[in-house]
Amino acid sequence: MEAPRIDSGRIAEVSRGLDRSEIERREKVFSVSDLTVSYSGKTALEGVTLDVHENTVTAFIGPSGCGKSTFIRCFNRMNDLIPGARVAGTVLYHGEDLYGRDVDAVEIRRRIGMVFQKPNPFPKSIYDNVAFGPRVLGMKGSLDERVEGALQSAALWDEVKDRLKDGALGLSGGQQQRLCIARALAVEPDVILMDEPASALDPISTTRIEDLMHELKREYTIVIVTHNMQQAARVADMTAFFSVVVEEDGSGRRGILVEYDATTKIFTTPADKRTEDYVTGRFG
Amino acid sequence: MRIELQAELDDLEAGFQEAGEIVLRSIRGVIDALRTQDVELCDEVIAFDDEVDERYKALEKQVEMVLARQTPVASDLRLVLAVLHSALHVERMGDQCVTIAKLTKLSSHLGTRQAVVESLVDMGERCAEMVKVSLAAFATRDVEQARALHALDELVDRANRQVFQEVLGYVNDAEALEWGMRQITVARCFERIGDNAVDIGEQTAFLVTGEFAEFTDASHDPRPLS
Repeated sequence: MEAPRIDSGRIAEVSRGLDRSEIERREKVFSVSDLTVSYSGKTALEGVTLDVHENTVTAFIGPSGCGKSTFIRCFNRMNDLIPGARVAGTVLYHGEDLYGRDVDAVEIRRRIGMVFQKPNPFPKSIYDNVAFGPRVLGMKGSLDERVEGALQSAALWDEVKDRLKDGALGLSGGQQQRLCIARALAVEPDVILMDEPASALDPISTTRIEDLMHELKREYTIVIVTHNMQQAARVADMTAFFSVVVEEDGSGRRGILVEYDATTKIFTTPADKRTEDYVTGRFG
Repeated sequence: MRIELQAELDDLEAGFQEAGEIVLRSIRGVIDALRTQDVELCDEVIAFDDEVDERYKALEKQVEMVLARQTPVASDLRLVLAVLHSALHVERMGDQCVTIAKLTKLSSHLGTRQAVVESLVDMGERCAEMVKVSLAAFATRDVEQARALHALDELVDRANRQVFQEVLGYVNDAEALEWGMRQITVARCFERIGDNAVDIGEQTAFLVTGEFAEFTDASHDPRPLS
């Protein structure tokens, strides 16, 4: 009998996204184990273990107070800046302890950039915003080229190339956010952390940021916190669902990781009832 | 709690069950028409199919709206998809009933042969039972009951083969042969209704487990066709 002439490999290729085993074959950028974060003795997040893989978008979702923002801040030691914050457990970054004694937090934040909910450009020109990091770090090579490259990568170049000397605060909210992304890219990071990067933006600007994430993950590893579940469904390869546990004695609330899996799995057949309840809107 | 989404899902599912009840009336109609060779009843069944089609169109529209406005995920999304697929199976059953009614009308002047009519009525009743089971299994999310449809379908397939064998015996009687060949198509229509009921059972399993799998796969069935 002749082999069927229908190319089933191609059919499969078109119809699916990245599956978990494919993602897990990629190099681990972060390997978190049993991470607990507390502020002034109160546990905010407890016992999180997960890996983040190279050239993927990983989303953290969950209700308010679940610790997802606390968690993303552990990836570039932003919690160091909060008095009374204590981080226990390990976060390995390319196999090295991110919280090791001889780790340079400034170097960490160069390699692991962050973009925040509210666009926060400096009150300087568009050019100077992007050039700021490379200048401070004394990075070699043409600054003009570096600025243009970063603005290109952030899909902002065409809109601003004729007014690079104009003030950044004159840009629209969506443009300002892309400028912040360009600013993060200018110092050649490895990872970009995004904490609610589109929640202050209109739907069209949101779409541009989401498109950008799909583009950027070819070269960078992206971790995003989002309140918008559909955004996680649209952009992320892996999704982690965090939830809140209220202490029985009423002493407080702490965040926990409930489920971490391929985004497709989380939004079609989540394994945990709490995840199902959250993504279908029956809780929170 | 998404109250509006839940209300729309409940409504969608109730609409599907109703469409199923309506197609059951068509199936019972053709069984009676076959048994009594009632041409008028055949016309009624044919006209009644508009009801089934209307229900299907309404469900399809409703599914489109729920997807567009509520973006259901996880088990909600599976319910919407399962209803959409199952509603189409119900609509197809209605079409099979129309074909049976038309064939019954077309061959009524040729005289009937009781053995075959009895086999067809038997097939029809088995199909009606299967449709009932498929609707109940869907409503109660009973995967075991849904899987049992496969065994019921085997009986329908067997009856289908019996009709074929019976008609082979008419080879020397031209009029009986013409009638009999029409009845082979009638049997084939019932056999398809049984398959559609199994398909609804597969949707129930998908709804509950999140995995779609055919209960049987004709393209990998080791048994010979007849």
